[in-house]
Amino acid sequence: MFRDYEKVFMRISILFSFVALALGGLFGFIQLVSRTPGFPRLVDASGYYTALTGHGVLMAIIWTAFFIMGIAVFVMVSELRVNFRKTLLGLTLVLTLGGTVTAAIPILAGRASVLYTFYPPLIGHPLFYIGLAVVIVGTWVFSAAVIDVFLRWRRANRGVGIPVGAFGVITTIIIWLEATPGLSIEVLMDLIPASLFGKPVDVLLDRTLFWYFGHPLVYFWLIPAIVAFYAIMPKLLGVELYSVKAAKLAYILFILASTPVGLHHQFVDSGLSFEAKLLHTALTYSVALGSFVTAFNVLATLERAGRARGGGVFSWVLKLPWRNPVFAGLALAFILFGFGGIGGIVNASLTMNYVVHNTLWVVGHFHLTVGSIVTLVFMSITYLIFPVVFDRNIFSGSLAKIQPYLWFVGMFIFALAYHIAGIYGAPRRVDDSSYMGLSPEIWSPLLQIGAVGGLIFWLSGVIFILNVFASLKFGAPATVNGASLSEGSGGEQGDEPTIFDRLSIWIIVALILIVIGYTVPMMEIFSRGLSPVEIVYIGG
Amino acid sequence: MDRWEALWIVIVAATLGIFIGTLVAIAGVGYIPPSEVEAEYRPTDAVEEFKPGIRSLGDGVYEVNILAYRFSFQPNKIVLENPKEVRFRIYSSDVLHGFSIIGTNVNIMVIPGYISEIVWRPPPDFEGSYLVICNEYCGIGHSGMFAELVIKR
Ligand code: HEM
Ligand SMILES: [Cu+2]
Ligand SMILES: [Cu+2]
Repeated sequence: MFRDYEKVFMRISILFSFVALALGGLFGFIQLVSRTPGFPRLVDASGYYTALTGHGVLMAIIWTAFFIMGIAVFVMVSELRVNFRKTLLGLTLVLTLGGTVTAAIPILAGRASVLYTFYPPLIGHPLFYIGLAVVIVGTWVFSAAVIDVFLRWRRANRGVGIPVGAFGVITTIIIWLEATPGLSIEVLMDLIPASLFGKPVDVLLDRTLFWYFGHPLVYFWLIPAIVAFYAIMPKLLGVELYSVKAAKLAYILFILASTPVGLHHQFVDSGLSFEAKLLHTALTYSVALGSFVTAFNVLATLERAGRARGGGVFSWVLKLPWRNPVFAGLALAFILFGFGGIGGIVNASLTMNYVVHNTLWVVGHFHLTVGSIVTLVFMSITYLIFPVVFDRNIFSGSLAKIQPYLWFVGMFIFALAYHIAGIYGAPRRVDDSSYMGLSPEIWSPLLQIGAVGGLIFWLSGVIFILNVFASLKFGAPATVNGASLSEGSGGEQGDEPTIFDRLSIWIIVALILIVIGYTVPMMEIFSRGLSPVEIVYIGG
Repeated sequence: MDRWEALWIVIVAATLGIFIGTLVAIAGVGYIPPSEVEAEYRPTDAVEEFKPGIRSLGDGVYEVNILAYRFSFQPNKIVLENPKEVRFRIYSSDVLHGFSIIGTNVNIMVIPGYISEIVWRPPPDFEGSYLVICNEYCGIGHSGMFAELVIKR
């Protein structure tokens, strides 16, 4: 089923994502320990922000994007039985790996400590932005490769519904293509010229462009995790997905409303009107609907599986295969999805945002979401597909069994403590929060509890990394093959197409919503006239 | 999609509708984020044109102009006597900063090139001092950027 070059692509991108996770995790450990009162300070302020930039970029962009590319190939080929074009995959790797290494050099040298949001007018070394631009171009090549596979499948399968996994991959790619123009304009028009020639930039405009990209980025992470809930979990449990149609509805809601919502990251920015912010709040709540639809669908599927195993009204929960690491990781991530979602509803509220903006609440929130829902699901997927991709079994089954639980417990403690600390105003992105003794006393114990939780899930990450790298060397020859994984993944090929399968219509609606959502703030910014300021170069 | 699922979607959509309605209603009674830009100053002449300092407008009404720069606020000790309503106007002469009064809902971004405004009504019985911090990364000295707000009765 997989061509050799497809396997090579999956191996390289997935292994590279593990390297990013390992290095990012090391930075995470350094931050966690250094910023907690009473714990040893491992680095000075400059080292802290170097680590924080590395952690943000490696975790939020590199770990997620490379893993997603790997499983996208896996899902597309195994569900659609159409192969990728070799040149496109090759070019993708050259550009994304080349760009990543280019950007990593100034980050690690401490000459691009601008954090992963790189707000101007703080400007780092040019190679950072240039590397980033090359990575983006690489992801566009990858998008073209996926779309090419999809279109060839569609031409040969007219009148057939899109299988639910491939639908998710296509959704991810559409959202990525909706999002990246914002970032590209910011990087090409402002940040690269600023870092090379000192061009003054309008900070509000650049923030708006960044968050035009930044929110859909969140769905770029989340949807592959949802694909696992829809396409892998039912198969693992031997049942049908509760509702294929609702799954597709959720995907479409994400396509429609994931982009024109970026102002919810700018609620406390000056220079944008209340009306524009309210519009984005309303759209944010409509994209939340997609998550609620997903929650129902997944829960109903779980119940169906539990009852099929003889469970009753509540006891079905206990009948699920909690000892299977693939299932456990998915299910635990799904539980955290509930907490992350509720926190997100709070963040999205224009008025409550004052309380939590830029506090540790936010750090708690995104470690639940991208740091757990997405990361735990990717770890589960690893346990499942490792034998197929790397031709070896996972080295230690028992370590794999405890790892998701350890992550869950640690994350629960960490996220709870950080959310509460955030409500008490404790800031994120600081190497030290003592403020010469002026800070509220409650911060210290909360940070310390958070650090205990953080160390627990960090340890779980270490176990994961050691286990997969050990499997490469010492894993027994694989006993699973790709074909057995891909049969009958909820939403059979041959399903009737639904209204949601008519993607071109939805893409047009999405573009209209983007135009409406962003005409308002852009008119406000431009009608007043831009207010460019001098850059502050910190690239050494 | 079955009946239960459709019902769930309706319930969730209605709930989210109520959330949005609440925000609109709250705005109706005046809880509106600091969205206006009153004036623009070029950073170079910021200090001359933008006068940092405290101005009492009488009857407990204050206007406080604050200059934010790496890595300090000016003034960095703000003393207010029996304040009822305080209008903070914050301006950055270099990079992005934040202005957050810990323990209150005052928490806004300070974007260079723009003035951020927020009106705060202090709790009537509070006496003592608040910690004010910059809560957006502004460089290596970021965690040392803070001020003190003292309320006297
Ligand atoms: C492996 C264990 C991890 C530890 C110990 C850890 C720890 C931390 C800490 C303490 C912060 C806050 C730093 C600050 O604001 O001062 C942070 C920020 C962050 N973490 Fe993690 N983290 C871990 C894993 C992850 C994972 C798996 C992800 C996502 C996939 C992630 C994504 C982020 C992001 C995006 C930030 C924000 C960076 C910024 O503010 O610029 N982390 N992490
Ligand atoms: Cu967002
Ligand atoms: Cu700062």
